[in-house]
Amino acid sequence: MTAGFTRRAFLSKTVVAIAVTVLSSRFLTYTEDARAAGDTHVIDIKAFKFVPDTLKVRVGDTITWTNHDIVPHTATADDKSWDTGTLKRNERASLTVTAGMAPRYYCRFHPQMRAQIEIVGGD
Amino acid sequence: MKIKALVAALTASAVLTLGLAQAKMKTQSPAELNDLEIAHVAYVADSIDIRYAHLALALSENPAVHEFAETMIRDHTAVNDQALALLKKLGAQPRDNFLSQSLQQNAKTLIDEMSDLRGTAFDKRYAENELAYHIAVNDLVDNSFLPNIENAEVHALFTAGSKIFHAHEKHAAMMVKQLK
Repeated sequence: MTAGFTRRAFLSKTVVAIAVTVLSSRFLTYTEDARAAGDTHVIDIKAFKFVPDTLKVRVGDTITWTNHDIVPHTATADDKSWDTGTLKRNERASLTVTAGMAPRYYCRFHPQMRAQIEIVGGD
Repeated sequence: MKIKALVAALTASAVLTLGLAQAKMKTQSPAELNDLEIAHVAYVADSIDIRYAHLALALSENPAVHEFAETMIRDHTAVNDQALALLKKLGAQPRDNFLSQSLQQNAKTLIDEMSDLRGTAFDKRYAENELAYHIAVNDLVDNSFLPNIENAEVHALFTAGSKIFHAHEKHAAMMVKQLK
């Protein structure tokens, strides 16, 4: 009786353990898929500043710029290799980080507005 | 060049000061304007800079001057649109006043002067005036308007406007330096 109980307890513990392992692995797989798809970072444009003005990102991440100012702005790579286009008030634009992406950028309309991204990991 | 920019700034300040001096003779001061009069001055000041910008687009062949002028048109139009939307929301009309009239008269004189210039002479005059104009307007907004505006929404709009005009001042300073 005791042995049967112990066996059943062992079996049920084993089933639970397997279930937990399977679920955990699925969760981890899901998390890794999400990681592979990339994180999303938000940069606010307000009072003629990019906030934050320095941002660490990974290849595959997405950066979204939102303009909160009355006047239009852009986020444009120093070498012009990427550009959000004109962002009017409350408009936003997103770009996916690629390997070798030019890190420094500015606003084409207000060249004193400057910021940068820092690509980390992946090597 | 710094001296030239300073001279231009002082000239524009003198133009505004002259307007203020004339106003004071009639016991008028920018600090005494009410919100609707201040809104009118701001609208006129924006419109004047848009007119300068259109002149620059017509007469200048310098890409940096064109970019700056296009930014002035884009930004001042956006500010004026916001101002008109706010006034509409408040059910109010901007009110003409001595300072708006003085600014318009001074602008007419300056546009006549700049219209006779070409090439580098125009570019430098335009750039120096933009720097001087924004320095003078920023002084007016920061020291006479913002401390006296009563309506909270109008005050918020002018606070945002001040940041824009200070950014323009820095941009104009860059352009003046570039044209040395």
